[in-house]
Amino acid sequence: MQYAYFLSCINESMTKEVDRALNLWKKDLGMELVNLEKGTCCGGSNLDYVSPNHFIIINGRNLALAEQMGLDLATSCSTCLLTLRRAKHILDTSSEKREMVNAHLADEGLYYGGTSDVKHLLWVINEDYGLERLAVKVTAPLRGVRFAPFYGCHILRPSALLGRDDSAAPSSLDRLVEALGGSLVEYGSKNKCCGFHTLLVAEKQSLTMTGNAIEDAVRSGADYIVTPCPLCHTALDAYQDKALAGRRASRNIPVLHLSQMIGLALGYSREALGIDRHMIAV
Amino acid sequence: MERREVSFRIYRYNPQVDRTPFYDNFRIAVEKGITILRALNHIKEHLEPRLTFRAFCQAGICGSCAVRINGVSRLACTTQVWDLLTGSGDETILIEPLDNLEVIRDLVVDINPIMEKLKRNYSWIRPAIPEEEMGRKEHIVSDEEFETINASSDCILCGSCYSECSMMAVNRDYISPPVLLKTFRMNNDTRDTFACERLREVTTDDGLWDCTHCYKCTEHCTKKIPIMDGIHRLREEAFERGMTQTKGARHAQAFFDDIRDIGRLREVTLPLRTKGVLGSIGMVPLAVRMGLKGRKPPLLVKRIPDIERVRDIYSRLEANRGES
Amino acid sequence: MEHKYDIVIVGAGGGGLFAALEAVRTNPRVSVAVISKVYPTRSHTSAAQGGVNAALGNKDRDDTVELHVFDTVKGSDYLADQDAVDYLCSQAPSVVRELENLGAPFSRFPDGTIAQRPFGGTVKDRCCYCADKTGHTLLHTLFEQCLRRGVTFFNEYFLLSLEHADGDCQGVITLNMATSAIETFVASVVILATGGHAKMYWNRSSNAAGNTGDGQAAALRAGIPLKDMEFIQFHPTGLRKSGLLVTEGARGEGGYLLNRHGERFMARYAPQKMELGPRDLVARSMETEIIEGNGFESDAGSYLELDLRHLGAGAIKKKLPQIRELSMHFEGVDPIEEPIPVRPTAHYSMGGIDAAMARTAIRGVYAIGECACISVHGANRLGGNSLLDILVFGKRAGQEAALEAPERKVHGITPAAVRMVAHEIRSYAGHERYERYGIIREEMGKTMGDNVGIYRIEGRLRKGVDEIQSLRERFRRIRLFDTGTVFNTNLIQILELKNMLDLALCVAVTALERLESRGSHYREDFPRRDDEAWHRHSLCTMGGDGEMSLNHKAVTMGKYSLETRSY
Repeated sequence: MQYAYFLSCINESMTKEVDRALNLWKKDLGMELVNLEKGTCCGGSNLDYVSPNHFIIINGRNLALAEQMGLDLATSCSTCLLTLRRAKHILDTSSEKREMVNAHLADEGLYYGGTSDVKHLLWVINEDYGLERLAVKVTAPLRGVRFAPFYGCHILRPSALLGRDDSAAPSSLDRLVEALGGSLVEYGSKNKCCGFHTLLVAEKQSLTMTGNAIEDAVRSGADYIVTPCPLCHTALDAYQDKALAGRRASRNIPVLHLSQMIGLALGYSREALGIDRHMIAV
Repeated sequence: MERREVSFRIYRYNPQVDRTPFYDNFRIAVEKGITILRALNHIKEHLEPRLTFRAFCQAGICGSCAVRINGVSRLACTTQVWDLLTGSGDETILIEPLDNLEVIRDLVVDINPIMEKLKRNYSWIRPAIPEEEMGRKEHIVSDEEFETINASSDCILCGSCYSECSMMAVNRDYISPPVLLKTFRMNNDTRDTFACERLREVTTDDGLWDCTHCYKCTEHCTKKIPIMDGIHRLREEAFERGMTQTKGARHAQAFFDDIRDIGRLREVTLPLRTKGVLGSIGMVPLAVRMGLKGRKPPLLVKRIPDIERVRDIYSRLEANRGES
Repeated sequence: MEHKYDIVIVGAGGGGLFAALEAVRTNPRVSVAVISKVYPTRSHTSAAQGGVNAALGNKDRDDTVELHVFDTVKGSDYLADQDAVDYLCSQAPSVVRELENLGAPFSRFPDGTIAQRPFGGTVKDRCCYCADKTGHTLLHTLFEQCLRRGVTFFNEYFLLSLEHADGDCQGVITLNMATSAIETFVASVVILATGGHAKMYWNRSSNAAGNTGDGQAAALRAGIPLKDMEFIQFHPTGLRKSGLLVTEGARGEGGYLLNRHGERFMARYAPQKMELGPRDLVARSMETEIIEGNGFESDAGSYLELDLRHLGAGAIKKKLPQIRELSMHFEGVDPIEEPIPVRPTAHYSMGGIDAAMARTAIRGVYAIGECACISVHGANRLGGNSLLDILVFGKRAGQEAALEAPERKVHGITPAAVRMVAHEIRSYAGHERYERYGIIREEMGKTMGDNVGIYRIEGRLRKGVDEIQSLRERFRRIRLFDTGTVFNTNLIQILELKNMLDLALCVAVTALERLESRGSHYREDFPRRDDEAWHRHSLCTMGGDGEMSLNHKAVTMGKYSLETRSY
C-alpha cells in the first residue's frame, strides 16, 4: 500500500502528533507514505472564495504531483480531503477546466489526467487495508475503553463527493473502533459540526457548537472523543476549556486523533504517540 | 401488498395544555408504498384527531410538510415509510418538528423568521425596466444564463436547510441557508440591478461569512440544490466587488497570500490578519497555554521547494485578469 | 378583532398575488391586505408544471392572438364567453412578458427569447415554460415582488364568510388559525382568488388537500351564483394512491395502458390512436374498464396499469426521470421493474363563482382564477391557459379594485354576522354530535367518483345528488374532537368539508340537469352536444335553507359560431 501523502498545514505545525503517531505504525501495516514535497497548502475553501481559478489550478497541481508519482493521494485532514476531492470532481467533469489547468501546469512538466484518487487515512485503513486484517495486528485491544466517535463534517458531507457513509448515521469510524477492541457510545453529535472554520470569524457561535459536542460526549459517558480530523481535534481539544466555560459539564474529556487510537491498539505508548501534547489531559 | 406493523413516535406539544413537549406512540399497519404523510393522515383520522401538522400539495412542490424524520429534515410527502424500515422486529419511526424554529403546536413551526429574513435581505429582482414599459419585450437571456440560476430557482422554501444548519442551531439571527440561496439566485440573474446593495446587506453581521461550511444544507436539501455552491459563489462575488474588509474575507485572503508567498499557511499570524490586533487580544491566553504545551505554530514557516512555480501561476493569472 | 382595508384579497396564489401587486402599483394610496390559509408559496399554483400560453410568436412566427382565441373557444366546446377569451388572449403576450420583466425565469430559445412548446389542443406552439416548474417559478416571482412592495399578508387565516349589505361589499370574516380567534376584515373591495374545488373527489384528485373551494362556498352562502359547476376536468393518468399526475409524456414515449387481464384495452376504444387519444376519451375508456370490472383492486381502490417496462431502463432514466421519481416516491413503484398503478383523476374545475370579467353580482366583490368562472375555459380548459387566466384576471381585478375601492363606502360587518359564524363553529364541539369527519369525507369522495365522475348517467347522478344531500344532513351532526385553539387543523378540516359538500351538491345537480355531453361533461344517456337546448351556462344559487336552485345564462358569442369540435 503506497500513497502520495498530503500532510496538511496543521499537521505540520500545531497537531504534529498526528503524523508522529502515524509514522510509528505505518510500516506495521505495510503502508508507505511518500510526502508530496512540492505540494502546497490546499487553501481549504478559502482559495476558492478569493479566486476560483487559483483554487482549481493550485489543487489541480497538487493532484498532478501525485499522478506524477503514479500514486493515489492519502491525507489525514478532512478539509484537505474535501477540498482536493472537490477540485478533482470539477476537473473530471469539465474538459474546459482541465485544459485551463494543464496549460498552467505545462511548464512545470505536470499534467492532470484524473488518475489519482484522493482518500482519507480512515478509508485507507477500512477499505484498502481492511478491518479484519487490522484486528489481527492488534496487540493491546482497547477493551473497556468507551469512545465517542466525532466524524466531522468534511469526511461525511456532501456525501455525493465523499460517499463512504450515510451522513445521517455514519459507521465507518465506529467499525474501526470496534475492530481495535474498543466500545462505542451512542450520542447525537457524532455527525455534527465542531465549528472550527468560523472560530476566527464568529467565535462565540462556533464555541457553542464545540461545547455542545463536548458536553454531549461527556454526558454519554465516553472516556475519549476520537476524530479523524486535526481541525476538529483542535476545536474539541485546544478550545475545550473555552468551549465549556460557563457550562456545567461534569468533567473534561480527552480527544484522540485517529492515528493515535490505532497506535494505542497496536501497542505503542502514549508518550510516543504524542498524546501528552494535547491540551486536555488524558 | 406487503404490510408491516410500524410504530410512529411523534413529538407533541400544545402550548394551551402542555407544560413541556412529550412523545406519543402510534402503532399502525402500513403497506408498501405509503408515505410518511399518508401515515400521519391515517393517524389523525383514525387514532388522534388532535395531531397537528402542515400539508398541502402532497407532491413535493409546496414545501408545507417538512418535518424531522428519524432526526433528519425531509418532506413527509416524498418520504417512503418502507425506505426507513430497518428489518428489526420493533420498527419505530421518530417524527419531530423542524429544528431552529419555534414550535406552534406539535409538528407545526413558526416560519415567519424565514419570511422576515427574505424581506430584510432584498430577496427579489429589481429590474432595470421602468414600470411603465413593462410587458413590451422580454429580456434576452441566454440558455447559459438561465442554467446558472436554474437549480437555485427550484427552492420551495421548505425550511429543511434552515432546520439542518449548524450555525442556525447556535444563532437564531444568522442569515440562514435559504436566504443565502435566494441571494445567489437574485445576484446571478442577469436582469437584476441590485446585486451590489444586496450583497452588502448579506455580508453584514450574522451574514454570509458566518457559514461554517458544514454542508448540511446541501446534504439535506429536499430539491437536491447544491446550496453551498451558491454560498461559495456569493463569497467569490464579495471579492470581485472588493467587499474584503470583513473578517471572513480577510481570513480567506490570508490563505491566498500565504500560498503565493510560501506555499503553506502562516498560522501564527492568521488570527491577526483575520481579526486585527484588537480582535486578537482575546486569543493571547489560549495561545500562551498552547505554546507552553508545545502546540504552537512555527514563527517562521519554510517555503516549499519550487515556490517559484506557484508564483508563476499567480502571475499568469494576474496578467490574464489585466487583459480581460 | 377588526381590521380595515380598502382592498382585501383572499388567496395568495398567482392570481391573488398579482392582484395585490397590481393594486399597489395602480394606486399607492390604497391599503391592501392579502389573506391566505397557507403561506403564499405553498399555494397550488406551485404545482402547475406545463406552462403559460401566449401568442408571443417566438416559436411559430405566424402565431396570432386570434389563433389563440380560436383554440381556446374551440377547446371550451364553445361554452366560453368570447369577449372574455378575447381579453385573455390579447393580454397574454404583455402579461407573460411583464412577469418575465419582473424576474420570472423562463426556458429560452437559442436567440434568448422566451421558449415556447406545443401543448394539447392548440394549432401553434405557444406554451411558454420554465423547465417543468412554470407555476412554481411564477408564484415565487410574484411573492418576491410582493415582499418588495411591502404587501401586507395575513397568513394562515381561514375564510369563514363573505359579508355584504344589500349587494354592497362589506368585507370578510376569517378565523386566525394560530389562535382560533374570529377576525373581521372590513373592506371596500374583496377579491376572491381561493383556487379550485376538484379536491371534492378527494384521493381521486390531483389537487392539494386544501383545494376545497372556500371562496366559492362563501360566495354561494352570500347569495352569489356559481356558474358551470358540472364541468370538472379529468386527467387520464393520476397515481392510484395519491391522485398525483403522471404527465401525458409517459404515453407519448410509448407507455401502454393495461387492465387486469394484461390487455391493452385502448384497442377497443381508439384502435388508431390507442393510448394517445384525446384526454377525455382516454379517461372515459379507463373509467369504463374499471366499471366493467377489468380493473385491479387494492386498499386504495380500483386502478389500471401504465406499463413502461418495455421502454427499457435506459430510455426511462433519460426521457422520463421525473415520472420515475414520482412513481417511486408516491407509489413505491419503480417503473423499470413494475407497471405504474394509475386511474383518472379530477384535475381542474372549470366552473366557479359567476364573475363576468372578474366582477360578481355583489358590488365590490371580484373573483378570479380557478375559483371563478368568467368564463374563459367553458366546458373544457386547454393546458397552459390556467396560469394565463390567473395572471390576466388577477392583474385586471387588482387594477379595477384599486380604482374602485376609494369610491366605495362601507358600513362595516354586523356583530350578528360574527355571532352567527362563531355559533356554528362552537356547535361542532357539542357532545351530542357523533359523525366523523373522515367517514363523511371518504363517502363524499366515493360518491362523487362513482356517480358524478367521468361517465354520467341519470340514475347515478340522482344517486349522487341524494347521497350528497344525505351527507350534508349528516354533516350537521359532525363532531369536532380537537377543541384546542392553537392551530386547530381538525376544525379547519371540518370547515373545508362543509365547503366541499355544498359545492359537490352544485356539481351533482347541475350535472344532472345538463342533458347533453359537452367538453368534460359526458352523459351516457345524452352522448351528443345539443346546442339548441343547452348552449348556455348553468347557474346554481343556494337559498337560505341550503337548497340549490338552478338557472341559466347565455354564452357571450363573438367571431366564432358553433361548430362540431373534432381534432
